[in-house]
Amino acid sequence: MITKNKQSKFKAFFGKVLEPIALGLLALLFIIPSITVINLEPITKNIKKITDILGVTTSSEVIVDLVGGTHEILSIEKIYKDGDDGYIYNALLTKRESDFYSKPILQLRNNSEKDKILTFLGTTLSPTRSEIGLIINDQAYRLQRATGESESIEILLKPKSKYDVYLTVESVVGVQFSEEFEMKIGVR
Amino acid sequence: MSILLKKAIKLSLLPAVLMIAGKFLGLFTLIAVYGIQFNVGNEVTGIFSTQIFLPNIETTLFVNSISDLVMISILGVFTIYMILQTTILQNTKNNPRTIAKVVKFNILKWVTSSTSTFLKIFIWTSFVVISSIIVIINTLQGDTYLWIGITAGVISLLCIWGLMKTFEIETEKIYPSRNKHSYF
Repeated sequence: MITKNKQSKFKAFFGKVLEPIALGLLALLFIIPSITVINLEPITKNIKKITDILGVTTSSEVIVDLVGGTHEILSIEKIYKDGDDGYIYNALLTKRESDFYSKPILQLRNNSEKDKILTFLGTTLSPTRSEIGLIINDQAYRLQRATGESESIEILLKPKSKYDVYLTVESVVGVQFSEEFEMKIGVR
Repeated sequence: MSILLKKAIKLSLLPAVLMIAGKFLGLFTLIAVYGIQFNVGNEVTGIFSTQIFLPNIETTLFVNSISDLVMISILGVFTIYMILQTTILQNTKNNPRTIAKVVKFNILKWVTSSTSTFLKIFIWTSFVVISSIIVIINTLQGDTYLWIGITAGVISLLCIWGLMKTFEIETEKIYPSRNKHSYF
C-alpha cells in the first residue's frame, strides 16, 4: 500500500517535472521545421567562382585546396578564382582575446615539373591592431603589421611538392569586433 | 504529464517531418530533373548556417517557388482530407440525404474509418498556416511566384475554415442544439 502510494507520488512528481520539457519539445516541433524550411531556401550566387572546400586547380597545375574546419576566431573561409592565375582567399576574423592564434588554411601542391612562384598579399578590410602572418613549410612570414601596413610574400613551390599554409594572428590587445580578412594569391 | 500534451507531441511529428520533406523533395527533385548546378555553402552566420547556392535569379525563383508549392500542397492535401472526412461523417449522422449520397459514391467505409480528431486537425492546420506565412513572406520579398503565394493563402484560409467547422462539430457533440436534439 505504501509502495503504491510512493509510486503514484513519484509519478505525479515526475509528470510535473516533465511537463515544461514536453511543452518546450512541442514548441520545438513547430520551430525546427520552420527554421529548416527557411534555411532550405536557395539563394543566387555565381557558383562558378566559388570553390569552398573543394579546391581550385590552375591550368599551370598548381592546386590550391582550402583546408576548412572550425576554429575559435576564424570562420566563413572561401577561396575564389581571380583571373587566370590568381585567387582570393576570404575569411572572417571574429572578436578575440589578446593571444596568438594559428590555423591551417590552405594546402598548396605543385603537380608540374617546373618551379612555381606564389605571391601572397593579405590584409584586413578594416584597421586592426593584430599582426597577421603565414607559416609555410615551417617558415614564418609577416602579411600585416599591427599598424595596418601589409607586406607581400613570395615563396617558391618546387616541382611535385606539397605545402601546408597556416594563418597566424597575434593580438596584443583584445579585439571586440569581427573583421574580414582578404588575401590575394598569385601563381607564376 | 497531461495526456493532451503527449498526444499533441505525437501528432505533431508527422506534419513536422512532412513539412521539411516536402521542401527538401521539391528542391532536390527539381535540381535533379533539370540538372541545375548547385553548391552548398556556409556564408550566412547565425542559425542559418548553411545555404544552397543556385547560378541565377530565374532558376532560384523557379526552384524556390515550386518547392514551396510542393510543401504547401503536401500539408494542405492531408489537412483538407481529414477535414472532409470529419465533416462528411458528421453530416451523415445528421442528414439522411448525405448518407444516401455517401452510399451512392461508395465512400461509406472511408468516411466511417475516420480517426481524425479536432486536436489532429488543429495541429495540421497550424503547420499549414506556418508554411503559408513562410510562402507569403517569400512572395512579398519576390522569392516566390505571386500565384503560389495566393494559392498558399487560399489553402490556409480553407484549412482555417475547416478547423472552425470541425470545432463546431465537436462542440455540437457536447452541447447539441435544441432543433437537432430530437435525432438522438
